[in-house]
Amino acid sequence: MRRRPVLLLVALVVAVATAFAAAPAGASRPAAKPSGSITVSAAASLTEAFTAIGEKFRKRNPKATVTFNFGSSSSLVTQIQGGAPADVYASADLTNMDKLVAGGQVTTTPTPFARNEMQIAVKPGNPMKVTSVANLATIGTVSLCGTTVPCGVYAASVLKKATVTIPESSITRGVDAKATIAAVAQGDANAAIVYVTDVMAAGTTVAPVVIPAEQNVIAVYPIAPIAASTNPKLARRFIAYVVSPAGQKILAKYGFLAA
Amino acid sequence: MRRRRRGTTRRVPWPVGVLAAIAALLFALPLLGLLQRAAWSSFWHDLSTPEARRALRLSFECSLWSTGLCVVLGVPLAWVLARGEFPGRALLRALVLLPMVLPPVVGGVALLYAFGRSNGLVGPWLYDTFGLQLTFSKAGVVVAETFVAMPFLVLTVEGGLRAIDTRYEDAAATLGAGRWTTFRRVTLRFLAPSLAAGAALAWARALGEFGATITFAGNIDGRTRTTPLAVYLLLETQPGAAVALSLVLLAVSIVVLVALRDRWFGIRR
Repeated sequence: MRRRPVLLLVALVVAVATAFAAAPAGASRPAAKPSGSITVSAAASLTEAFTAIGEKFRKRNPKATVTFNFGSSSSLVTQIQGGAPADVYASADLTNMDKLVAGGQVTTTPTPFARNEMQIAVKPGNPMKVTSVANLATIGTVSLCGTTVPCGVYAASVLKKATVTIPESSITRGVDAKATIAAVAQGDANAAIVYVTDVMAAGTTVAPVVIPAEQNVIAVYPIAPIAASTNPKLARRFIAYVVSPAGQKILAKYGFLAA
Repeated sequence: MRRRRRGTTRRVPWPVGVLAAIAALLFALPLLGLLQRAAWSSFWHDLSTPEARRALRLSFECSLWSTGLCVVLGVPLAWVLARGEFPGRALLRALVLLPMVLPPVVGGVALLYAFGRSNGLVGPWLYDTFGLQLTFSKAGVVVAETFVAMPFLVLTVEGGLRAIDTRYEDAAATLGAGRWTTFRRVTLRFLAPSLAAGAALAWARALGEFGATITFAGNIDGRTRTTPLAVYLLLETQPGAAVALSLVLLAVSIVVLVALRDRWFGIRR
């Protein structure tokens, strides 16, 4: 009687171990087309474009499964450093990609695949009459990304270039680009500084106010496979599709500039 | 495996024991993980940074207001649910318990569409009539916390009310006490333990609120950035500070649970 729990535990351990052992073996089996599954951790601003790319990629590679994990580039880095199983990382800035390169989680040279610019999003019809970055200092609550999130860093440099200071008590911080613009689209924030592509994706729920080139910044998006990937072949295949003319066409459709 | 309790011997069947052990590990391991990441040497320093102190002060302030609101509004609601006889009572109870199972972010979006100044059902009216804007305000934090925390109080107090022998109240009434006096001097006396338990649970829940708060009230330093929001933001820049703040929340939760262990679980040794 007393030994049986031990036996069950042994059985459990064996079952779990074989299950884990079987997965990579199946994934690395040679096949004409890449099969298995990968997880792509991508910046929140890529949500719409990468979802569309994923659908096209799946049509071309019906045996492959691509799962997306969208979030702020900085929180994705924290997850990957903590051992979250990601196969591909697409960042909205070089800083966060460099953290993974420095930590050895990325061992190949990241490929820039898109560029983006910042824009001001206001309520439809622009009721607060925002025409410039300078206006943002005096219109009440403004939604910006977190200070370590790429869109928050870019917004800070836009404000710096325009020599505008928004009091911290008027700034609500979104956890990523999508949450930041949602505070204007669904909530009561009067304006947000986000990517051009986010303003486009938000459609008629917001209105755009252009930031002049001399105050604007260019965001460069790099992509790279994660060294610990259990399916590096499919990971490379996905990245190749993103930088291919077909992938670039989809990115352009969602407002991204060519890298 | 074997424990003697009230003279009877209970043997735990081994599959139950193994599964229960796995379940216990699921709770214990994250706790251990948090504790082993704590930088004890810089613990007080991490907690005394201006941002951490603002977040803690705001959290305690808003969660206490919210607990007060839960008691003032939740006790009458619990009374109606426990004693009231009216059609739709089951529906009302389901409505009250909804925030317990609803993802808090969804709750926040729903609050936005009710009380938001620009898109809400009653929000524009609140603003035009009283100049009251709940979003991006401390009041908004209190509303979001009350929304998710009140079900805990209502549930506990309703259970307490049902357990009261109504003959005591009847006796008070026959001795000439009015309804209000009976409620105050008999019902509330018996209710005190479950009221305390419900209030403590509601407070702990309010203190830990994240999703509804960030969605509805926003994330403004010193105004709506409560401790859980600060933990989320600090995780990337100052993980030590994030862990220190998490431990404060954890300690509060443990104190509440230990204080309530008999009342809430209903198990007496």
